[in-house]
Amino acid sequence: MSELLAFARGPFFVLTFTFMILGLLRHIGLRTYRLYQVLHRTPKRDVPWGKIVRNTAGWLLPIRHIFTSAPTMKIASIAFHVGIVIVPVFLADHVFLWSRGLGISLPGLSDRAADVLTLMAIAAGFYLFGFRILNRTARNLSGRIDYFVTAAVLVPLVSGYLASHPESAPLTYEALMLIHVLSANLLFVLMPTTKLAHVVLFPFDRLSPEIFWRLVPGAGDRVAEALRGNRQGAEA
Amino acid sequence: MSQTTLAPPETGTPEPPAPAKRKYPWYVIKPREGERVKAFLEAFAAILRYSNYKPALDQYSRSSMKCSSCTTNCPVYATTHDPRDIPCYRSGLLLKTYRRHFTVGGWFAAKVSGDPGLTEAEIDEMADVFYRCTACKRCTLECPLGIDHGLLTHLGRWILSELRIVPKGLEISVIEQLHGETGNTSAIPAHALKDTLEFLEEELLEMFGIPMHYPVDEPDREFVFFPAVSDYLLEPETLMGNLAVIHAAGDAGNWTIGTGYFDGINYGLFYSDHVLERTIAKLVGEVARLRGRKALIGECGHASRSAKEFVPVFGGDLTVPVVNIMEYTLRQIEAGKIVLDPNIITEKVTYHDPCNIARSGWIIDQPRKIIRAFCPNFVEMEPHGRNNLCCGGGGGTVSVDEIHEFRMSVAGRMKADQMRATGAKYVIAPCANCKKQLKELIEYHKLDTKLVGLHDLILKAIVIPGAKSPAERAAAERGE
Repeated sequence: MSELLAFARGPFFVLTFTFMILGLLRHIGLRTYRLYQVLHRTPKRDVPWGKIVRNTAGWLLPIRHIFTSAPTMKIASIAFHVGIVIVPVFLADHVFLWSRGLGISLPGLSDRAADVLTLMAIAAGFYLFGFRILNRTARNLSGRIDYFVTAAVLVPLVSGYLASHPESAPLTYEALMLIHVLSANLLFVLMPTTKLAHVVLFPFDRLSPEIFWRLVPGAGDRVAEALRGNRQGAEA
Repeated sequence: MSQTTLAPPETGTPEPPAPAKRKYPWYVIKPREGERVKAFLEAFAAILRYSNYKPALDQYSRSSMKCSSCTTNCPVYATTHDPRDIPCYRSGLLLKTYRRHFTVGGWFAAKVSGDPGLTEAEIDEMADVFYRCTACKRCTLECPLGIDHGLLTHLGRWILSELRIVPKGLEISVIEQLHGETGNTSAIPAHALKDTLEFLEEELLEMFGIPMHYPVDEPDREFVFFPAVSDYLLEPETLMGNLAVIHAAGDAGNWTIGTGYFDGINYGLFYSDHVLERTIAKLVGEVARLRGRKALIGECGHASRSAKEFVPVFGGDLTVPVVNIMEYTLRQIEAGKIVLDPNIITEKVTYHDPCNIARSGWIIDQPRKIIRAFCPNFVEMEPHGRNNLCCGGGGGTVSVDEIHEFRMSVAGRMKADQMRATGAKYVIAPCANCKKQLKELIEYHKLDTKLVGLHDLILKAIVIPGAKSPAERAAAERGE
């Protein structure tokens, strides 16, 4: 098991982490290029950056949206996100990895703060998972991938917490670390390949209502022309 | 020119009798017969190739969280709790089709999972759900990922329209507007327009005791006026209020109505970029013909939005600034050119925000400033402004008579409750579509209120030097 753990922590980690970074950079590049294309094809090219930045900032901590409805779900969602953003980056053990692997020096969370944030994220994550199952509206919308992705985020959180509290863990430290590292590696793969990509695409979300209605002059005529060509081809 | 969406109907062809259960929830003039999946995908592919929708679909299919937050703000879902009315579900039908037919990952996933791809049943479902949406975009306010479901409804309807799956109520008007002799959605000939304007001038003369005139086909004016053309048939008081304001502001010589084209309505906003662009071309073409400098749009939400947003996109070299009549009126009030008597409309008044001008934040404060200038008993509906509730007839659904019951008991139910809760004598709705829907709602739900346009009330309260005073006019109206 120790050899497997060493592999998961070593070359496999480097591979999946690199895959994630490159995949997310690809998303950012593609999205930026697409937005350039949109604006390039339409004569109305002004972008209300101030409004977009304000809206994005407002959604980073969406307090004012909490009480519109389902406040518990909204609070759980905020708690979940706060936990899963802060803990993986600033956990003392991870700060050591940042420093060793990439030479990046970050401040570390105290153990107590890390425990509180992790438990908060775990509780919120389970609530959100349960919400999908028990809330009729959310259940009607959810597909297998939605459950899978939520679960995939929860596994490294739970295994990481248990590994740091071996006294109350049902498995050995080594087994827990193996689960933790493998599930984290899986998460790195899922990050650019599933909806988890919103971790970097979030800043683009508020652009959409401002940009995507920039229609293309002549598109209607060209569509009609193409479809007429298709029909004539089919009849010939 | 499209031979699908925009082709005139075959004349002399009797319509088939309506079957017991329609394939679509509304009448369709000549839908695509037979196998439609290939046609749908061809239309989708052509639109993706020539339009700007691909980046939106890429982003939305990647970011849709299915968190159900959108349901919070949808008045249709809040009433039905029917899964097909969940904005994310509706958009998901289109996004799923996009993923599995136009992305490598989606194609691969479909192959692995044995997904057969788009089906005839899914096309029928889209025809249903995209017209159960009023395109009010209220859901967008609550989507954490910023998905514009209104945009996807518009796109879904455009694809369907290329298969000629369009409610007859919309298509017949568009055919008349783009191909008919009258060139407008209400089929009003130019001579009938002139008769109507003469009649309104006579009414105004009787009301105010001074002559006021609608200028017709006057070149080189600042404004060329485009109300929703149905106002000429249904909303005489709004049009008289418009003239009274412009006359009192001293702008009688600065505006004109063109007989070449006088319709602000643009149903393309609801279902087709092709129709949208061609209608904008008619509008800017008329302004250019008359050498006007600005397009002045009457009391109509979608007419205002379509002109404001899409004249700069489709207007080309003929692009002109677009001004909504309420913006104009407020400017005149603030300049001190218009005086309104605050003792005429003393009853409780409330204001309905048309989604197309309020959701973006464009026109929210302007009408309220006007109303507060002369209506001392103004109350707000809750919620209002950007977060207003749709009248229930948005997105063109108000023109679809076959879904009247849906508009009354589902899409407009919360609006009816909201109007009732204010206890207002007058509900002001500065939009032709909202007016029709809200009048029907008031009748259907037996509400004790009256639906009016903003300029209908201004007409009662405006003070014009040398003319009969508002009090005199009110007395005359009461028969004193």
